[in-house]
Amino acid sequence: MLRRPAIVILVAVSAVPTIAGLAAALWFGLDAGAFSRVLGTPGVGLSIASSIWSGSIATVISLMLAHLAVGLAVSGGWRTRLNALTLPLLAMPHLAVGIGLALLLAPSGVLMRLLSPWATGFELPPDWLTVQDPAALSLIAGLVLKETCFLIMALMAALAQVPSARLQLQAQTLGYGPLKSWLTAVAPLLQQQIRLPLAAVLVFGISNVELAIPLGPGLPPTFSVLLWRWFTDANPLIHSQAYAGTLLLLLATAATVVAAMTVSNLARYVLRSSVQGGRRHSDDRFAQGVIKATLILLWTVGVLAIVAIVLRSVSGAWRFPALLPAGDWLSRWNDVLPTAGNTAAITVALATATALVGLALVLPAAEQCRHDARTRATVGAWLFLPLLVPQMTFLFGVQVLLVRMNIDGTFVAVLWSHLLFALPYLWGLLAPARAAIDPRYRQVAATLGAPPSRAWLTVTLPLLARSGLLALALAFSVSIALYLPTLFAGAGRFATAATEAAAAAGSGNLRLASVHALLLAVLPLIAFAGAYASGSWLFRHRQGVPR
Amino acid sequence: MCLRRHAAHLIAGCFAAVLLAAGGAAAEQDNWPAVVAEARGQTVYFNAWGGDLTINRYLQWAADRLREDHGVELRHVKVTDIAEAVARVRAERAAGRDDNGSIDLLWINGENFAALQSAGLLHGPWVSEVPNASYVDWEGNPTTLIDGTIATDGFELPWGTAALTLFFDKSQVSLPPTNPATLLRWIGDHPGRFSYPQPPAFLGSAFLKQLLLLLVDDSGHLQQPAGDDFGKVTEPLWAWLNQAHPHMWRRGRLFPLSGPAQRDLLAVGELDWMLSYNPSEASRAIRNGDLHDGIGAMHFAGGALANSHFIAIPYNSSATAGARVVANFLLSPEAQARKADEQHWGDPSVLDIDKLDTDDQQAFSALQIGTATPPAAKRYLPEPHPSWTTALEQAWLERYVR
Repeated sequence: MLRRPAIVILVAVSAVPTIAGLAAALWFGLDAGAFSRVLGTPGVGLSIASSIWSGSIATVISLMLAHLAVGLAVSGGWRTRLNALTLPLLAMPHLAVGIGLALLLAPSGVLMRLLSPWATGFELPPDWLTVQDPAALSLIAGLVLKETCFLIMALMAALAQVPSARLQLQAQTLGYGPLKSWLTAVAPLLQQQIRLPLAAVLVFGISNVELAIPLGPGLPPTFSVLLWRWFTDANPLIHSQAYAGTLLLLLATAATVVAAMTVSNLARYVLRSSVQGGRRHSDDRFAQGVIKATLILLWTVGVLAIVAIVLRSVSGAWRFPALLPAGDWLSRWNDVLPTAGNTAAITVALATATALVGLALVLPAAEQCRHDARTRATVGAWLFLPLLVPQMTFLFGVQVLLVRMNIDGTFVAVLWSHLLFALPYLWGLLAPARAAIDPRYRQVAATLGAPPSRAWLTVTLPLLARSGLLALALAFSVSIALYLPTLFAGAGRFATAATEAAAAAGSGNLRLASVHALLLAVLPLIAFAGAYASGSWLFRHRQGVPR
Repeated sequence: MCLRRHAAHLIAGCFAAVLLAAGGAAAEQDNWPAVVAEARGQTVYFNAWGGDLTINRYLQWAADRLREDHGVELRHVKVTDIAEAVARVRAERAAGRDDNGSIDLLWINGENFAALQSAGLLHGPWVSEVPNASYVDWEGNPTTLIDGTIATDGFELPWGTAALTLFFDKSQVSLPPTNPATLLRWIGDHPGRFSYPQPPAFLGSAFLKQLLLLLVDDSGHLQQPAGDDFGKVTEPLWAWLNQAHPHMWRRGRLFPLSGPAQRDLLAVGELDWMLSYNPSEASRAIRNGDLHDGIGAMHFAGGALANSHFIAIPYNSSATAGARVVANFLLSPEAQARKADEQHWGDPSVLDIDKLDTDDQQAFSALQIGTATPPAAKRYLPEPHPSWTTALEQAWLERYVR
């Protein structure tokens, strides 16, 4: 590995700050006095419990939905459609989903307005806890919406590693229906492949603030939101409480992940006994229908959430049960545009830089391990590290280090923090794409007398272009969505769409939040549309260029 | 001992008030022309919260006028929290920069004033030198002299007064309940339609203090630091809240997170009430289209929780003459009337209108008051000692977060 510098640099860029951040967090967070203040906070036990509960339940539901969806889509022949359904939801930042869902599901939200008063008879919004409920059901719904899509993508990517068609066929010849064949023969193997993404989903579920701020319970909030309030408090004494709290968050998350691993082993045992039972159902039509309906429901909710965001962003006074806001829509936008324009510029600049620098780091490394699947997997696992630790814990450590080096609040610091989260996705997309390119293309180019650099530019690069464009869009979207990294590394000086939306949602000001959420939702969609369009344009005269 | 020193401060403050009212400062004001002459050509860096466009535009107007009339260059340094500026003054002191400081004027009150004043980092006393200070309603509005129970001692000049105001939807509230008992009855009769921002959000804590001031027998007791009798004194407050919460929005299991959040909820029809320290907030919101028409406003009959905000000069300012000229302008009837104008800012004036000459009185009475702005509160209740605020917030969390 050491003889391949690009790989070393890539891994170092990600792992060094992550590990140093964790170490710093442990060093500065261990403070007995602060711990006892954390534990003495009213409702802190309930707060930790609701974090673990919402993260775990959402992960279980998302995993089951994702397995069923992929199994049915592959055996039912609608794999491409599943891709098309999940990608837009995947591209939508968590914060935007959270704010959108809050605006959709609240008693005065768009859903209730659609039904009132003609169906419900409500002239005033009912006093229901449909969002921010104490059982965290709305938070779980938001997590399921996003994480199901993430896990579907992870499973689809893992399909390449598993001889799924052959396995399913074998099970079917034994008389099992397509779905049961899939679940018993293919799904367990896929499950092995997606352990890291699954752990990331669980960690995010427990420790996120992006969905928990707009959707999570209020009295008390989830533990991560409590910590986030402490971090943004003006009182330095409270900060030390937040530092100690991040270690507690780390502990709670690690304990849950270990517990989840134990439970999943148990579940495998139970599944095996059900296979050994040998019962056979061959008719999947009902399951197909239910799963398709569930996916369409998720997708519709996602679209309606965007509609709710658009409506709220242009509304001022908007009394229930009017379906559309009153007043002059355009003038409301004019009020917001000057500040929103500034925010958008910073957001886009950061995201573009993240995507380009990330690509520049990943491409040479992917080149260097194109024949070496094991190194690819190892690098992938290292790059995944920042997604496996609660963001707050190691980012707080990173912040302390940045302050010590006096480079907090600089563009480079923020860019670097964004790279930590964009690199795993870039690698996941580009490393396999590079490895899949048939080496004989280059051999042909060499035979024709092209030096390696020219062969790379004229042969390899065009073959990689579509994946590269998609990777750029993905990294761009990841950066757009990042909130805590910008907050911690940016010293509060970088106002991006995510920081503004989170701050507004954090003080309960959903109208202001919706303006920034709209920006959050739209920018990734533009990026993906741009990637697809420029890919098609680039190869408008070509056939058979890999997608 | 702390208590006694506190009482001494209060007495000193009141004494200063009497002096000012009696025109005892006339001698100091004789020097004013010299101050004005010295100020010409100076640049005054005014560190003030910059989070509101209307306020920023108001200060821009003031800067234009000061340049034309007095040759003073006013620069608004927009800060997100004035505590940053307090920290800067402290840092300059630590670095030994005892003159030519980077800040000449501060928009300040409460704990930030207390921090600078107790560390001796303010210039002054200078307030009595400023001619327009004689128009201030020192007698009628005690919050102009006592800033969060700390006597201002002439080190900061009142610039505006805030009074806790309750706004309601007139279509749902026919007769506004102006005391805690009738408000409690209204809440019981209209389940799910009342709430207040969740303490320790600024306005939520203010609501607790307002109720406490009205519910205790002796509100003067709250001017002293909270002590062992906290539980006993606050008993009526918790009794009120325990009765109200089950009938409030979301049965008291969820609260709006801030003032703006509650305004949002009023705007979409989830609540019939909102709170603000600024009596003209609803009128402004209606004009901007953020709230619907038909909003009413009230203060509690027993008095409105009030505080003033001030301007002060750091000890190391090199433009104290310019700063005083700016302060004098900001306190002029013209500037105060424009500040009270809801089209420009809508912040209530600290001047006693009766002390003004008829032309200036005209300017105030000609102001267009929005339909949702209440008449001035009949009584102002000064803030309790800061220790009550922290204790109330902590006790609230312990009781209602579970």
